[in-house]
This record gives sequence, structure tokens and C-alpha cells, in this order.
Amino acid sequence: MGNTKIDPVTLSTVWHTFQRVCHEMRDVLERTAVSYLIGQLHDNSVGIWDARGRTVAIPVGLTSQFVGSKFPVQFILERFKGNIHSGDVFLTNDPYNGGFNNHLPDWGFFRPIFFEGELLFFTLCRAHQMDTGGSFPGGYFANGFDIHAEGLCIPPIKVVEQGRERTDVMELIWNNVRFRESVRVDNASMIATTKVCENRLQEMLRHYGRDVVMACVDEMMDRTERAVREEIRKIPDGTYYGEGATDDDGTELDVPVWVRVEVTVAGDEISIDFSKSDAQRKGFINQVYAATYSASIGAMILFFDTGLVDYHNEGTMRPVKVVAPDGLVVSGTYPATVGGGPANITERTLDAMYMAMSKALPHRAIAGWARHRGDYVFGIDPRTSQQYVRTTFDYDGGAGAVAGYDGYVGAVIMGAVHRGNVEEEEVRFPWRMLKYEIAPDLEGAGKWRGAPGTIWESANEGAEVGMATGSSDGELTTGAGVLGGQPTPLSEAHIRRGSELILARGHRMHRVRQGDSVLKVSGGGAGVAPPGERDPEKVSEDVANGIVSIGRAREVYKVALDPDTFAVDREQTEALRRAGP
Amino acid sequence: MKRVAIDVGGTFTDCLVLDESGILQSFKSPTMPQDPSTGLLRALEKAAGAYRQTLAEFLGQVGAIIHGTTLATNALLTGRGVETGMITTKNFRDIIEIRRGIKNVNTSMYNFFVPPYRPLVPRRLRLGVEERTLWNGEIATELDESEVLQAAEQLRAKGVKAVAVCFLHSYANSANERRAVEICKTAMPGTHVTASHEILPVWREFERFSTTVVSAYIGPIVDDYLAELEKRLGAAGFRGTLLMMLSNGLTETATHCRSRAVFLIGSGPAAAPSAALHLGREMPNLNLLSVDMGGTSFDIGLIRKGEIPTTTEAWVGDHRVAIKMVDTRSVGAGGGSIAWVDSLGLLRVGPQSAGADPGPACYGKGGMEPTVSDADLLLGYIPDDYFLGGEIPLDAKLAEAAVKKVGDRLGLSVTETTQAIFTTVNSYMADSITGVSTKNGHDVRDFALVVGGGAGPVHGVFIADLLGIRNVIIPPVAALFSAFGMFVKDVGRDFSRPYFSPASRVDPDRVSQLFREMEEDARRALKAMLASDSSVVFTRTAEMRYSGQFHDIEVPVPGGDFTRQTLGATIDAFHARHEELYTFRMPWKEAGFLTFHLKATVQRAPFSLRSSRGTGNTSRAIKRERRCIFSGEQVKTPVYDGEKLGGGDELYGPAIIEERTTTVVIPQGYRCAVDGLRNYVLNRSS
Repeated sequence: MGNTKIDPVTLSTVWHTFQRVCHEMRDVLERTAVSYLIGQLHDNSVGIWDARGRTVAIPVGLTSQFVGSKFPVQFILERFKGNIHSGDVFLTNDPYNGGFNNHLPDWGFFRPIFFEGELLFFTLCRAHQMDTGGSFPGGYFANGFDIHAEGLCIPPIKVVEQGRERTDVMELIWNNVRFRESVRVDNASMIATTKVCENRLQEMLRHYGRDVVMACVDEMMDRTERAVREEIRKIPDGTYYGEGATDDDGTELDVPVWVRVEVTVAGDEISIDFSKSDAQRKGFINQVYAATYSASIGAMILFFDTGLVDYHNEGTMRPVKVVAPDGLVVSGTYPATVGGGPANITERTLDAMYMAMSKALPHRAIAGWARHRGDYVFGIDPRTSQQYVRTTFDYDGGAGAVAGYDGYVGAVIMGAVHRGNVEEEEVRFPWRMLKYEIAPDLEGAGKWRGAPGTIWESANEGAEVGMATGSSDGELTTGAGVLGGQPTPLSEAHIRRGSELILARGHRMHRVRQGDSVLKVSGGGAGVAPPGERDPEKVSEDVANGIVSIGRAREVYKVALDPDTFAVDREQTEALRRAGP
Repeated sequence: MKRVAIDVGGTFTDCLVLDESGILQSFKSPTMPQDPSTGLLRALEKAAGAYRQTLAEFLGQVGAIIHGTTLATNALLTGRGVETGMITTKNFRDIIEIRRGIKNVNTSMYNFFVPPYRPLVPRRLRLGVEERTLWNGEIATELDESEVLQAAEQLRAKGVKAVAVCFLHSYANSANERRAVEICKTAMPGTHVTASHEILPVWREFERFSTTVVSAYIGPIVDDYLAELEKRLGAAGFRGTLLMMLSNGLTETATHCRSRAVFLIGSGPAAAPSAALHLGREMPNLNLLSVDMGGTSFDIGLIRKGEIPTTTEAWVGDHRVAIKMVDTRSVGAGGGSIAWVDSLGLLRVGPQSAGADPGPACYGKGGMEPTVSDADLLLGYIPDDYFLGGEIPLDAKLAEAAVKKVGDRLGLSVTETTQAIFTTVNSYMADSITGVSTKNGHDVRDFALVVGGGAGPVHGVFIADLLGIRNVIIPPVAALFSAFGMFVKDVGRDFSRPYFSPASRVDPDRVSQLFREMEEDARRALKAMLASDSSVVFTRTAEMRYSGQFHDIEVPVPGGDFTRQTLGATIDAFHARHEELYTFRMPWKEAGFLTFHLKATVQRAPFSLRSSRGTGNTSRAIKRERRCIFSGEQVKTPVYDGEKLGGGDELYGPAIIEERTTTVVIPQGYRCAVDGLRNYVLNRSS
């Protein structure tokens, strides 16, 4: 098999087919699921691995959900050796016991893919479920006693055996989650998604033959490895430090928890070392090693040649070592709670990586993205008398700036997820939206500024509900600006009750009464390079558009504008800029 | 009466005329981007000239002109729309800028180095007014008319030429939007005012607002153009109906389109699948792939069982356009596509194109990069002296120099590189076809390939070969593919009625009533579009989903009274279609209805193209021989004059057929049969 000759055209076609299949899988999921989070907001990930557990295709998803899913694939291969058949599907959501998952709501269905009797690939469809059991709906509540309090822990188990659903096993699972019928639909949709991948890969194998496809897989990895090593070689050798903190762990309140990374570049290899991060916490923000690995790789990729973005695979990971000794907040061990890990520590892992890598490659600098401002609301919809759970990304700010461009307005989680529509939310949930707009003066300033912040207010028209703000961060801590850019501005949230405004902090549980509204004022992304270097015309445009006030233009960007026309006063601006900060 | 189809493209205006004797004539003339109606009239003058008539005499005999234009698409893609303002629900003015957090749809999530989206209406021109309509249509806050007036005056002072009125939940109750439109029209006479409920009366405000803003942004350009065109055609003696080709594959009167510019996005390419359907009408199953390869793009349409598919999921450039559009996929591969080597050492072709200016290196207009046309020339496939009937002479030396640059980077000879470029672009096109077909779960080998575009007939058979497709159809008018599609299309319109209900609670009588209403509406509307009652054909469909899903599936609904049986059949069709599309069905989950649709089409008056008979002696059609390269081998290849071939003729590859506007390449192992309408039907001879 080693000397199968492949022509460049076949290689390219096979390569693109793997990528395209992943996108198609996500389309099928979006079109068939019923969870708002999966179907409309795209909190889901897919990928393809080979039968040796090597990463073949990871074009789209939420980094911590799937980039490092070779670990569970390798575990399944080992644990089920001799008992893996065509038509099987495995399910796991466990961070421990071979699941290597980030948190319990993200269930992953793995399907082995056979061709002519031989196991060649695995595919994964992972998505955030409407519910996963545990004390409260949604999976983002603080203060669980241990991982078991956070919900059902499913180690890798077979749920479909040679094409036949193990209905008794699934019944046991569905019986232990809320919204069982909806979860059942979403599970059917996810399993079908892996089936689509199987169909497509088998078509490709039939077309090109097994040996050619597998030779292409080796060649893909080798080429990507060479290209990534070449990218690493462009970075000056040395150690680059980055850090990021989440507000607290939800149990020990108002004590920030730190992720610290040292990225060491030597020749064409990189070591990403998190040893100096804080110790694992009692509170729910912990992250397991596999998720840290995923986020680190995902962040690193962003700094390489954008021509490579569609071609990352195992080859990308070969020159990289991710170090995190057991027992840290980035390498939690059983029975550490992990519910709030993805929205908090995963995002801080990205921040820390952006900060370190931006020092290593200033011309590719990336500033911190806006903090999540999420919540999970659970209650009864009086229109249907049905229980509902709601979350969204609407209240988040947008992207951090990059060297060369302002932050992308509204983008969340690397742009892999989407926001909702006001109309759809009002149809689906008993809440009336009062405001949803860009918030002025809440961008991380810079030569390239972060995306603006968001102001969001919505009124509860149903009965009293619970609101878990486990996915809210950034009230005490900020995401770094880089190369002299300003950090992500702080955010805050309140419950409006009549004329009263009650502070509603993140990582906590709140009650929201009928007629109350929730008001969130969220900071945007961080900036790249000093704001005093921003093109004054762009500042003028931001002021005309009401994104930056005329006062802030003067104080922060050192740009003087005509108060009526917003035209730049060149002389005064030069004087302000000469005077410095 | 004569019938005319005119497709105004970026470079050429294509004009097809069918006269009383059944002869189809084609004319191509340069597009005049600055003054498209003059360009269009020139094409008509050219046609009149061919009949030795004055324009007035010629137009006096034309019953209908069907017209497609890239005007709307180009205005949007090149950012040449008008300064546009937006009046929207207070506290929600950033919907089109936040745009559901969707980062550039054309790039990977791992690419952060893209500029943020610039909405067509900048924030300073998006003004909120007090008003609120709820999801159930209830008006929670009356429209503050004085605020609308103020906003209109503010926008007028800022010089906007178009206004989009976009209120939340206006699909459920359009009263506030309608009143705001009235106020704007009075306060800003001459301004193009568009409301979201008029353009796309369905829920989900981002998609509706974005589409409405697009329509406003290009509105005055389309409106002015159509007004001017109607006037000038009238003045030139035209008394027939001017019908516009729409994005959804139907046609409408120009007058109807003036306030709905967005429906002309993709007008032109939307007609290509109709051409394919007509040409492939004798293929078993009517499974057809319509491909159109021009200078910069390769458009693909998949027709399954004779159905031209539509989508509401389109992005045009970086803008969301959510109206129903013919689902064609366009990828960057054409004669002008540039070959290059990427950072992984892979040869890539496109999406960058040398366009018409400077064009491929062989045009000798300063292009230095090797393109697909350069490869086609060096392989001997296209003639250096008969490109567009000799209008553009081609220079092989320049092509060779350009190809060598890429060859040197790959360590390949010029011939090897040429072959590699040709194969790469073919694979890319083949892969894109697979993307379209397999995405819907269809085996591409069950389809016949219908090939259009100037460059299509050079590559068509090679693409088919890669995909294992057996039958290839190439019309002599391939280079005017979309115009031909407009010509053979039915005229019609879509009607719809919302009906939200779980399947178990559907009232069949109510549904019957809805269909009757729609049929009455349709008869009235089509009468205005020159049709008599009797020839109207109705097609019924329902949009359905499993309750809770976010997307719908359109399933056929049987005609006649809507009964319990009809309901059952429709539900069965839904489950089956869900499984067909997504590999699974959920019999345990209730299905629900959202909308009933009626498509009313008028069958075109039958037309007969005059048939031609060949002599049976194809050697008389040979005009010369030249050396072509097939699979790396030099082969002496006969070149046929297409105009001298006729019905019943047969020839075998390797062979080239030269038409005035295109070149058909037939590789070894392929047989080409000429049918009575001079279409080339190719298949493997062994």
C-alpha cells in the first residue's frame, strides 16, 4: 500500500471531499434537529478520523467539542477491539472514563466507517443537548457537588449495534433527561448525520479504491505537517507568555481563576505549556486536558497562513506538544465539575493563546473576543403549558480585532455558532425583546478596534423562571488587547423589576419574575495596537455611526472631530496625538 | 409573430429570435454596462438587420420579449447600488449589521483575517421609530407617525435615494409598515420606498430585512432601467409584452418587477436549467445536470425527475437574499480562471479570473497568468483563428510563456502543465457537480449532462468522463444557453397561503378553500400576462416539517379536492422525502404544515424549430485537421464545420466541431450523434 501512486488531482479531490462532507453533515443536522441551540445557533461539531485514531478532517465546529476527538476514537478502538462492526454507533458525553469530553451537555455520536469489511474511518457528530439531566436544566449551573450532580455521565457505549438501535439503553438515557421527546429527535438527527458521512465516504472509496484513498490520507497529513512546520519555523525561537482569567469558579465567588500558557518555539516545533495555570477548583469552570488540547490547537491554527485553513489534520498536531499536568483548571480530574468549562476556561485558554501567539507573530496579532454573557432560562410557557429552556448568544459582543482588520461584528465562538432571530425567539419562548442593538463606547479600542458591545433587554411574559448565568463572564476580568490595544470592556447584567435594577452576576442562579426584564450591557472585543494610531477617518465614521462617542474619540483615539459634521480636525488631532496618552 | 429572448450578461448581450418559419437565429453583441438599454436595442437592430428590416418593422412583428439581465446582480456585487436608508423598529436597528453573528460565509472559521461585513445601509442611516407588532399580529405599540416623518426628512436631507421600511413581525400584520410607507412616499417624493412585508412576508427578521435592504439598494437602478427600456421599446415600435426572467425561474411583466428589484437577482442564470430541461426532455427519468461554463464562472443546476430545484438559503456575495431562487451553484471556474500553485504545492485553478480584461494570456491584451483558455488553446482544442467566429485572434506563444511560469514551479514541462491545468479545472468542476448532486443524495451517474456556455462544450465530455456520466447533450446555441432557457420557459407565478397546523388538526375543507382562492388569484394575474384560462397548469405543494424543526421540506400535493386521502398521501410523501434527503424518518413524531403553495404556469404556445437533415457523409463537413493533445498524446484530429452537419449524422472522436460561438471537443472513445435540431448527443462508443 505504501507505494500506491497518487496523482495531484486525485489527492486534491479526496482532500476536498473530506472537508465538504463535514459541511454537509452540519447542514443535515441543522435541517433536522429541533433544539434551538443545535438547529439555529449551531452549537455542534463534526469531524473525521482514521482507524488509527488520526485526525483526517476538522473544518468546522466549536474547538473544545471536537478538535481533540482523536482521544475518544483511540479509546473506543482499544476498548471495543474485536467488537466494532459496520452499522455500530457509539455515544459518550463523559469528560472522564474514555469520553475525553469538555462537558456533559455535549453528547457525541461516533460511527465507525467500513469499506469492504475493513474499518477505515470514524466520524463524530457532537452537539449541545437541550438537557443532560442533573440538578437544573441546561447544564450551566454552578455548585454541583461533583460531576454526577451535573448530569448523566455516559462513557463510550454502543447505542446502535450493526444498524439496530439499542432501544433499552436509549430509553434509560432519555428517561433521565428533560425534554425527552425533543432529545430523541435530536439524537436521531445526529445519528443520521453520521450516516450521511458514511454514505459519502463509501461513495468516495468505491470511486477511487481503498488504497488510493488511504494513500491520500497519509499524503494529506504529511503535506499539512510540512506546511505547518514551515509556518512554525517562521516564528523566532523563544518562549511567549499569555494569560486569561475567568471571573470566578461559581463557588468561591469573585476570585478570578487563571489560565497561564508558555508557548515555546524551537525550530519547527512548538510546546504549549499550561503548567503555571491555577489548580483545579471546586467550582464548575474546570476543563479536562482533551478540551485544553483542542482549544490550543484551534487557536494556534489561526496564526498560520490562511491558505492552510481548510487543510488542517493530524499533520498540524505532530509538531505540537500540549503540556498540562493533571489537577489544574485546564486538566481537571474526576470528579471535578466541568459544566461551565467551555464558556469560561476554554474561552480563556483561547485568550491566553492569542496573547502569547500575538507576541510571537505580531503581524498576525489577534485580540481577545468579547466575553460570553450567556444564561439558561428554564420555566413554563403559559401559551402551551410546556416546559422550556432557552439560551442564545444574542447578548454577547463580537470578535476581537486582528492585525489589519476591526473585529467582526456579532461573531461568537470563532464564528462557528450563530445568533437567533428576535421573531423566532418570541414565537418559541414567552419573552418579549425590548432592545437588541450595538452598545456605543464598549469596544476594545485600538488601531484596529474590537467589535462593538451589545445592549440587550428582554421581558419575561411567563411565570417566574430560574436563570443560571453559568455562561456569563467578564464582569471582573477582561480579555487582552494586544500590541498596545485595549482589552475587552467589562460587562454587566441586571434584572429590572419595576423601577428597581437588581445586579445579576455571572456564575450564579437567579429568579426572574413575571413582568421582570433582564438587561445586559456587554463589552465588545479587544483591540490591536494603540488607539492613538487609528486612522482618524475611521474614527470619524465610528462616531457618525454612533459606535464611538465624540468624547471617547477625543480621549481614547486622540481624534478631534467637528461636533456637527464629524469631520476630522487635522490640526487638533495632530496636536492631541503629539501630546500622547 | 416572432419571439425574442435577450440575456444581457456582463460582457455579451445574447439575443435569440424564433421566426414564423421555425428558424432560430442567434445574435451576440457587446453589453454596454453604462447604458444597457442602448446595448439591448443594438442587439435587436442586429437581429432586424438579419431580416433586412428596420427596427420598427422587426419589433412590430415581435409578440413577446423575454429578458434576463445581470443588472441587479452586478449592482449588488460591485457595490454600485444607491445610498439607502432604513426605517425600522426602535431599539432594533442593527439587525442587518449583527446579522445573526454570521462571519463571512465564504471563508473557513479558522480564518480571522477577513474584513468585517459592511452593511448596505450604514448605521447612521438606520433610524428607529416607535412601533411594535407582536408574533401573533397584535399591535402592541401604535406607529408614531411623527417619528416616521422626522426619519423620512432626516434621510431625505442626507440624500438617500431608497428607503427600506423593516418592522418586526410585519409578516403577521403589515399595518404599521404600510402606514410608514405612505408617510415616506409623501415626505420623500421620487424616493424608492420598499417595505419588508412586500418583498418577503415570512418570519425571521434578519433574512427578511436583509433581502428588503438588498431590494431597496438596487431598486432605483432596476426601476429606472425598466422604465427606460419600456419607453424606448415602445418608441421603437414594440407592441408586445416585455417579460422579465426572475430569480425563481418564472417570468413576470417588467411593470410588476419595477418595485421588486431583488427578484431580478440571478435573472439570466436562473433560466439555464430550463434550457437543460428542454434539451434533455427525451432522457429517461428527466434526471439532468445543467452546466454553463463561461469566462469566469461555472453554474450548475440539478434537475431531478424534471423538477428544477429552488432554495431560500442563498447568499449573493456577502449578502443574505432569502427569496426563493432557482438553486444553481456557481463556482469560480471558466475560460478565464487562473492557474496557480498553493502553499501545499498543489496546482489550483481559479477562483481568480483574468476576466474579459485583460483576459487570458492568449488574448494578447496584457494577461500574464496562465488560464484555462490558454490550456485549451495549447491542447489544440480551440482554434486560434475562429474564436467567436474569428472576432478574437488567439496567440499560442503568449499562452505558452504564461503556462511555463506555473510549470517551472511544479517541475513539469509545458505540455504536462497544460494537461494538468485542463485536468485540474475539469476535476474541480466535476467535484462541484458532486457537491451539488450528492449533497442532495443523488448518484450523479444517473444524470445526463447538458452543457452550455462558450467554454462548456470544450470541457463537457471530459467532466462527464470523470463522473461516469454516460450521456452528454450540447446544443449549437450552447454559448447562448440562458437566453435559450428563457425562450423555452413557461410563464407563471407562485402563490402561497400560510397554514400552521399539526397534521392531525388539518381541516381538509379549509385547505381546499385555500387552493381555490389561489387558483382564482392566479387566473386573474395570468390573464394580465397574456394567457387564456385554458392553458394554465397548476402545481400544488406544501411546506412541511416535523414539529419543532427549523427547516421545511416542500412536498407535492395531489390536485382536485383536498380530502382526508389527499392529506394522508401528502403526509406519506413528507416522511418519504425526509428519508430521501436526510437518510431517516420519524414515524413516531408528528408532522406539521406551514404553507400551501400553488405554482401557476402557462404552457408556451407550442413552437417548432425547423429540423435539419444531414447528408450522411460527414467527411464533407470536415474543414481542416489539426494536432490536438489527448491524454498527453499528440493526435491528428479532424475539425468539422458545425453548420454543415445535420440530423442523423454521426461522428467519432477524436474530433472537433467548430461553431461560430463555441467549439465541441470529442475525445477518443466517444460517439457524437447529431439530432434533427442539430444538438450534439454524445456518449461512450464502447
